[in-house]
Amino acid sequence: MLIQTTQLEKKVTTSEGELQILHPINMQIAAGETVAIVGASGSGKSTLLSLLAGLDLASAGDVLIDNEKLSELDEEQRAKVRADKIGFIFQSFLLIPSLTALENVMLPAELAGHKTAEQEARELLTQVGLSERLHHYPNQLSGGEQQRVAIARAFIGTPKILFADEPTGNLDKKTGNTVEDLLFDMNAKSGTTLIMVTHDGELAKRCQRILRMDAGRLNEEQRDVA
Amino acid sequence: MWPKISRRLLLQELRRGELTIMALAIVLSVTAVLSLSLFSERLQEGLMARSSEFLAADRVLSSRREVNESWLTEAHERNLQTARRVVFNSMAFAGDELGLVDVKAVSEGYPLRGDLETAAEPYGEGEVTNGVPPRGEAWVASALFQSLQLDIGDTIEVGDSAFRVTRVVTYEPDVGFSVFTDSPNVLINYADLAATNLIQPGSRVRYNILYAGEPDAVTGYEDWLLPQLNDDTHRWRSIDDGDEPLARSLRRAERFMMLASLLGVVLAATAVAVAAQRYCQRNYDVVAIMKTLGGSKAQIQKIFTLHLLLLTVISIGIGLLLGWFIQWQVTELVAARLETTLPAAGWRPYALASATGLLSSVMFTLYPLLRLIKVPPLRVLHRQLVGAADIRWLHWLLCGGTVYFLLVLYSQQWLLSTALFAGGGGAAVVLLLIGRLFIGVSRKAGMQAGSAWRLAMAGLQRRAGANSVQMISFSTAIMLLLLVLALRNELLADWQEQLPDDAPNYFILNVAEEKVDQLQQTFAAENIASNDMYPIVPGRVTAINDEVLRDEVTKEDRDTDEGEREEEGDAREGFGRELSLTWRNELPPNNVIVEGQWFGDDTTPQVSLESEVAQRMDMKLGDELEFNIGGEVFRVPVTSIREVNWNSLQPNFYMIFNPATLSDFPATYISSFHLDQSRKSELNALFKDFPQVSLLDLDALMAQLREVISQVSLAIAFVLFLVIIAGTLVLVAQVQASMEERQQELVILRTLGAPAKLLRRSITYEFLVLGGISGLIATLAMELSLLILQTQVFEMDAVWHWRFWLVGPVAGAVIVALLGRLACARLIRRNTAQLIRTLA
Repeated sequence: MLIQTTQLEKKVTTSEGELQILHPINMQIAAGETVAIVGASGSGKSTLLSLLAGLDLASAGDVLIDNEKLSELDEEQRAKVRADKIGFIFQSFLLIPSLTALENVMLPAELAGHKTAEQEARELLTQVGLSERLHHYPNQLSGGEQQRVAIARAFIGTPKILFADEPTGNLDKKTGNTVEDLLFDMNAKSGTTLIMVTHDGELAKRCQRILRMDAGRLNEEQRDVA
Repeated sequence: MWPKISRRLLLQELRRGELTIMALAIVLSVTAVLSLSLFSERLQEGLMARSSEFLAADRVLSSRREVNESWLTEAHERNLQTARRVVFNSMAFAGDELGLVDVKAVSEGYPLRGDLETAAEPYGEGEVTNGVPPRGEAWVASALFQSLQLDIGDTIEVGDSAFRVTRVVTYEPDVGFSVFTDSPNVLINYADLAATNLIQPGSRVRYNILYAGEPDAVTGYEDWLLPQLNDDTHRWRSIDDGDEPLARSLRRAERFMMLASLLGVVLAATAVAVAAQRYCQRNYDVVAIMKTLGGSKAQIQKIFTLHLLLLTVISIGIGLLLGWFIQWQVTELVAARLETTLPAAGWRPYALASATGLLSSVMFTLYPLLRLIKVPPLRVLHRQLVGAADIRWLHWLLCGGTVYFLLVLYSQQWLLSTALFAGGGGAAVVLLLIGRLFIGVSRKAGMQAGSAWRLAMAGLQRRAGANSVQMISFSTAIMLLLLVLALRNELLADWQEQLPDDAPNYFILNVAEEKVDQLQQTFAAENIASNDMYPIVPGRVTAINDEVLRDEVTKEDRDTDEGEREEEGDAREGFGRELSLTWRNELPPNNVIVEGQWFGDDTTPQVSLESEVAQRMDMKLGDELEFNIGGEVFRVPVTSIREVNWNSLQPNFYMIFNPATLSDFPATYISSFHLDQSRKSELNALFKDFPQVSLLDLDALMAQLREVISQVSLAIAFVLFLVIIAGTLVLVAQVQASMEERQQELVILRTLGAPAKLLRRSITYEFLVLGGISGLIATLAMELSLLILQTQVFEMDAVWHWRFWLVGPVAGAVIVALLGRLACARLIRRNTAQLIRTLA
């Protein structure tokens, strides 16, 4: 199993006492699977994503990525895991405004010390159809274009796992569809494991598995792959 | 890889103008410190050189006996220039006439600083004269031509020698304000001195050695010589001794420059601090993204440290260039306007400026940078997350420590720096408290106002914490600006007052009692403005209460060392000579009673003392002083102590009696008057009927004073300009930073359909209130600081500045509101979608 959780829990302390955001979750995701996590706002989807990606620490239980227990790693080691194995796509794109499209895409590869970062980035941007926009800054790009830059950035360094948080949430229907197609297309080609948080039922249906979050509890929807 | 990322971020951000404020703040701090210190160093050296003219040298050794020859040899070995000047009283004869003169024998090289001016005829236009009188010749003062009935080419006899009078001395740089030197000068060559046979063992003679040279050499020699001097015989003098005519004005100017520059440094550092905070906040997202993408803490730390260092180094470089250019321009301007050249400055200002830029950038950024690096990657999902703020005390410690260190580094004065620092810290706390109070009050007031006001007041209240900090920087900037402005006005007014255009430029001495009325009538007839006539009765103090003063000297020992005030004495020895005593009903102008009461019409015998001499001689109110005037001994109590403005060009006295005590003693009279330069030629005719009257020409001296003052005024204007720029930058940086906080709120309100006009107004009102309150607090703080500075540092009277109570709040409100409006206009001009994207 590429990703595995055992009794994964998250609690936070508020002024009104302790709040259980995630009830014990046990799940397994195999390499190459595409998984959608759906649910209402505040159901704990993003929290689960942050725990799976090692951005946050669980209150109890464990996340294993490639058999590595995240709870046993410090922040630096978790960053290393992300650098080596994980790519991200966010609803708000999260590009660095002062860097060009090309530089934004190069960044993760450079942080990981790739010598050929620029070459890889150029190729990826060409794949997402932005070969003419290499030197544009994020604010010079449309929303769809920005998300395509983010997709290119997510795939640089050929990650094993791709986390996408509402990847089309900020886009109109048409642009959203184009971005979705691109994402699934690239994912299929690279064989990456895709874990996507979304509200969008249609989008979720394009994944092999749908996990539903409901008030911090996770249930798998039994269905055939579309 | 990380240096590449760092460099790329820097270049892109520079190109996009995101680092402008931070870079500007560093550039400005470096520019300000460099140009200020370069300029003030050059100016100070220039002023020192100018002031040295009043001594005719850099240092003077004054001695009652011949000076040890080895001391001169040592001076020459240290590459110092020297000249001799020997001064004594003697009778001079010209035909049947005779009179008491001051003989001044000078060696080649005199004067070492400044110029000697002579004319071809009495009261003629003086011209710079190189060299000293050739052997066998004498150059004499105009007054002597009257009293000895001399003409150019006549012979005068001094001692066993005869001298041909060839020139008229019109200006000696070292003549000073010694208005009581009642005998005119005769200048002869030092080589002729021995032949006069006037110098005998026991003669009352003042031997002077004049020294000039490179500052280091002079100081080195000073350190070598001072331990060998004998307090009873020798006196070592430099321009900053304090008793020289210009010293007090110069010290004030110097302190002002120092203080204003320090405040400039603090302002510039504040701008860096504000900008640094903002710089780091802007990068929170970038760090979170980098961490999410797998960047390690160490990598990110290196990236941002290098980023900041590069930015700092570039900014320091620009600052150094700019600072050098500005001071070069100003120096050129000064040189052109005043027809002087200023000496070049050393390396210290460059080091100081670079250190200021580096220190303020690194130290002020350290804590924000630590927080920046601690930003958790989870921020990509939860935007409100920031790095832990667990070591906030470290931030205050670093900032405070840096400001204090910069103050010390710049001023090299622990005491001044500590006082400024402690005062500033205290003020900041008070400002914080007052600021919060004001915001609370204005919120209540705002509740009843219209919509834009309500929005503005709600904003103020919500950001109370951030606003109080902002208010401190607004207030500090406004306060420092007001402070420098007020001080400058007062210093200039003070100097102007001392040297008005119609300031007396001639002193008349030795006016016989029976000639007083006639002279006053002549002045009136010729339309010449003169001061009061003061009677002079020579007398000595023989005892204080029952303690008899050691006072063995005789009448001939009238110590008339040039450039030295007649009354100046050596406390340890007592006065040791006759003083010029006077009597008068009214308190003279420029005199202020600090203790006791002026006698007015009281006829009981009594005396009023000058405060400095009272302190030096340890005389107090109520003490009984015993006087001996021409053999008559009497005792009077001290009934008042006066502060005297010694820089005023009028006769000033240590001892003033009430008329009943002194008016029966024989007296001569003294006064001063103003005569326009253009009427100088009338002088000879004017005084034809008063051959005994001595005339002292102060025109050249006053021209020198005016020149120094105009140099200083120019310097002060320059300092003010820089402080204003620094202050404005703080305001801009602060407004910019706070605008960022407001951005989100603006987007929400705009999305909800709030019209741009409402938003613009509410922001303008908010800043109007912030600026107004800051201005008010600033004025209060300025008034308090000024009170302390004026009385403790500048030796001036404390004055209340009513105008500033209006100027402070109004200017604060208008400027801050204007800056706020400008900054928000940029945000509002963009459409909502763009704004949302900016936020995203």
